[in-house]
Amino acid sequence: MVVITTKKPEEEVFEALNNFKVKNVLVVSCGVCAALCQTGGSEGAEEWSAKLKERGFNVTNAIVSDDVCDNRVMKKDLRVIDEDVKKSDAILTLACGLGVQSIITVLSKTHPKIPVFTANNTEFIGETERIGRFYMRCQGCGQCLLNETGGICPITTCAKALMNGPCGGMVDGKCEVGNYEKDCGWVLIYNRLKELGRLDLFAKLRDPLDWSDIGHQREVVWR
Amino acid sequence: MEVDVKMTEVKSYSKLGEALAKGDFILTGELEPEKTCDLSHTIEEAKQIAPYVIAANVTDSPLGIVTINSMAATHLIQKATGLECVWQMTVRDVNKLGIAGMIMGAQALGIHNILSLTGDHTALGDMAESKPVFDLDSATLIKLVREMVDKGSINGYEIEDPPKLHVGGAANPNSEPMGPEILKIGRKAEAGCEFIQTQVVYDIDRTIEFLTGIRKYKVPILLGIFPMKSYGIAKGFDTFVPGVSVPKEILAKWKSVKKDVTDKKQKKELYDQYNYELFKPFVSELRKKNLIDGIHCMAVHYPRIFPKLKDIIGA
Repeated sequence: MVVITTKKPEEEVFEALNNFKVKNVLVVSCGVCAALCQTGGSEGAEEWSAKLKERGFNVTNAIVSDDVCDNRVMKKDLRVIDEDVKKSDAILTLACGLGVQSIITVLSKTHPKIPVFTANNTEFIGETERIGRFYMRCQGCGQCLLNETGGICPITTCAKALMNGPCGGMVDGKCEVGNYEKDCGWVLIYNRLKELGRLDLFAKLRDPLDWSDIGHQREVVWR
Repeated sequence: MEVDVKMTEVKSYSKLGEALAKGDFILTGELEPEKTCDLSHTIEEAKQIAPYVIAANVTDSPLGIVTINSMAATHLIQKATGLECVWQMTVRDVNKLGIAGMIMGAQALGIHNILSLTGDHTALGDMAESKPVFDLDSATLIKLVREMVDKGSINGYEIEDPPKLHVGGAANPNSEPMGPEILKIGRKAEAGCEFIQTQVVYDIDRTIEFLTGIRKYKVPILLGIFPMKSYGIAKGFDTFVPGVSVPKEILAKWKSVKKDVTDKKQKKELYDQYNYELFKPFVSELRKKNLIDGIHCMAVHYPRIFPKLKDIIGA
């Protein structure tokens, strides 16, 4: 599983930093998902350090962390460079949205006044075909249907996330959204279930997703 | 093949519901309110088609292009003309909670027919940045209506004075592949769909195959036809409506009228004549095979064709 990220326009990032009158920046780059997406990793750390210096910022340090989103890893990695953290007016993360929030959590007691920014936009949980080709295949709806839909997710492969597709926007197996270039998710499901000899599952009338638990702050806490 | 698809439901809440229950051959029309708060043009068109149809659909921002709210328009058209309407409601813009409230509102406004539609995606329209909702889908909206009407409840919670509406669904005979679409109609039937309106279709063999495929679900079928008022309309329909294509030879015929006939009156007569020649045998064959229970004519802004429809459909 990879959280897919893309780069924000540079100017947007500099604007955020300038808006907070930042001079000294600590760069924290993700060595896992963002590295794969080429929005982080050691290359990203180097690239952003150079860009920041070019614009007159002082880079207090630039580190690559294995799991920016894991509070435990982040705590350990930031403790090692605490002197640099102290010298920083802000932290710029090259990670997904989890990165920013993980750092804020970890520093909430020791450095609560240091703002944390992101250089990326978080896109989705993605499947990787190869570098540069990532596809949303799961939205984490918490009610996985894959056992009934031949292993193809209607929530992500159908543009309308329909529970009972296809809709009238399907033409020759393609979807009306995106100029009929993408496959209709429900035709993929039909073909797969047909192959498995289980079209009875396709014929089933499915209730809408239950949003009572997934429509607000979500957490998995079991210990 | 003799299939009795008359509704077994005794209760009728509308003229359309009554006609379906009786097994009458039905003719419905379509009205398409536009991006305006003034419905006078639509009301005028409604008055013109009213003598010929049992009810008319009122569209809900087709192609995702924002128009006046379809429930409000349905109510105002009914009030101004006395023509019974079928309120088209897409699941695109409102969540389940909102739609349930609207269904009660519709009842309070004297609306007694609803057509459940998915709706063209927001991304296709003129407010593409809008959040696509699709909390329900076209089958689960039918299920919701039937729960509210038949059980007088929502999610098991009692409605003090429940709505009384008939609910229909759409089907697309143009669907390729056809298999998934047929099974989807089965789901709608299971959800309690009381009538099916088909998308416009021009290929008779495909239509027969599709209608034969869905006949087993025993839901009355209204065949969607689209007499084309002009070449421009035909071309636009072919280009912009998802899942519908007008065959090249038909387009060529309509183009020839535009190109070769200069007299306006003659032009109109020829378009009308061509529509007659196109749809008369089409409908006649499907009726002979007992595959349809009515016609839904989507010829918006073409009210002059409606007096001729009786002859076309052989009603």
